[in-house]
Amino acid sequence: MGSIRFDKVDKVFGPRGSGVKALDDINLEIGEKEFVAIVGPSGCGKTTCLRMVAGFEPPSAGIVSVNGKAVTKPGPDRAVVFQQFALFPWKTVRQNIELGLRNKELPKAERDELVAGALKLMNLESHADAFPHQLSGGMQQRVAIARAYVLDPEVLLMDEPFGALDAQTRVVMQEELVRLARVNPRTVLFITHAVEEAVYLADRVAIMTRRPGRIKEVLDIRSIREAENWDRLQKIEDVMDLESFVHLRTQIWKSLREEKGPHGG
Amino acid sequence: MIGRRGWVSLTSVAATLLLWFVLTTATGLVSPGRFPSPTEFWQSLNQIATRGYAGAELANHAFHSVRLVVLGFLVAIATGVPLGLWMGWSRRAEAAINPIFLIIRPIPPLAWIPLAILWLGLGDAAKIMVIWFAAFVPAVINAFAGVRNIDRPIIEAARMLGTPRWRLVSEVIAPAASPMIFTGLRLSLQAAWTTLVAAELVGALVGIGFVLNMAQQDIYPGMILAGMVTVGILGWATTLLLGLAERRALAWNVAGRD
Repeated sequence: MGSIRFDKVDKVFGPRGSGVKALDDINLEIGEKEFVAIVGPSGCGKTTCLRMVAGFEPPSAGIVSVNGKAVTKPGPDRAVVFQQFALFPWKTVRQNIELGLRNKELPKAERDELVAGALKLMNLESHADAFPHQLSGGMQQRVAIARAYVLDPEVLLMDEPFGALDAQTRVVMQEELVRLARVNPRTVLFITHAVEEAVYLADRVAIMTRRPGRIKEVLDIRSIREAENWDRLQKIEDVMDLESFVHLRTQIWKSLREEKGPHGG
Repeated sequence: MIGRRGWVSLTSVAATLLLWFVLTTATGLVSPGRFPSPTEFWQSLNQIATRGYAGAELANHAFHSVRLVVLGFLVAIATGVPLGLWMGWSRRAEAAINPIFLIIRPIPPLAWIPLAILWLGLGDAAKIMVIWFAAFVPAVINAFAGVRNIDRPIIEAARMLGTPRWRLVSEVIAPAASPMIFTGLRLSLQAAWTTLVAAELVGALVGIGFVLNMAQQDIYPGMILAGMVTVGILGWATTLLLGLAERRALAWNVAGRD
């Protein structure tokens, strides 16, 4: 369970006929427990792809489906982690994480157990009763990830989740996410403009063109990661030093660069 | 314990009191028929507090006024805030209600007094109605703006978590709008006091506005000032209580703190 499929998807913003075409004929299949990153120039519509899977926006043409069922509205089977965290500032860390479970009408004892597990998973135990504004950006994003993971979603949608974090925190969160993906693998659609991040995290990387966004190519990272045994290295900087990593990164860079064109991206 | 700015403020207050004394008692530049001296003010306050004036003692007048303000204010919150939230949330509700609201809104609340008296007589009901009208408008507008200013991802996060409709309103939309709602409540409270005094000036048999009206007819400046100061203190005290409630309710809101 947990496959995502874009089938001949177009997205037009604005009035029909005279609107701006943001996405053009998107076709992409993400398998169960696969981690796919979409990279592309800013404004190419990569976030729109994610928002359509989340059910925040309908496609103008074509079908976006999860597990073979067309997406019609948002729901806890497709948890979203937002760039700006989107925590509820009036709720404590615990209450933020618990809301989705209350919505599922789980009994209190079960909720407590799941929340405790999620707090532990994200190293948030000592901050359970803090309000979001008392936490650093990295900690806030941990809460947002815990809030998503605790739902046990089939699909995890991450929209530039580390884009608002400083460089050091970002690296820690990337390593954390790799750790999470091993403990508890999910189908992940990950939007980013950071090429290294995509190569480090994803099984496959989809590269998009400039507006109107199309999928230009999809690179298989996983086979190279497994062949070169990246996982033997703990630290992200060691992985990034590997020749195979550098090669993939450069390949994506070149492909994106062609897209930046005369406007410079 | 008092800082530099505290001393400046204290000095300013002391200078004003001194100026008052100098202009009235010491030099007589301002005649007692226009503005009372500190002694006259104190005697008037003493009179109304212990022996009573305009048919009742000060506590009685004050209690009556506060009761009307609180009742009108509560009715305004209970009706205005939900209406504002609803208009903020539903474009259709906004389209239906806003035009009527725009027509009624420019009418000053005090202009409703004659109609209110015509409908409900000189009793409390008419005053509560006028206070309600006055306090209603800021409550609606700010709740409405509060909802419209909610960051979209907050709502999307709630929907993604499968939050049912009622819980979305009570646990997400209302708290997210609450800093603006409280801004509205402060304006509502102010409007409630303004309107109360005006309503009691026009027609009442008890209350601070009635005291002011009687003191004017008796040409009694000391009592006029006593009434004014009482209204000031009551308004300040109720605003203080509202501020405490706000601090409590918005403890999570770092932006709302000083």
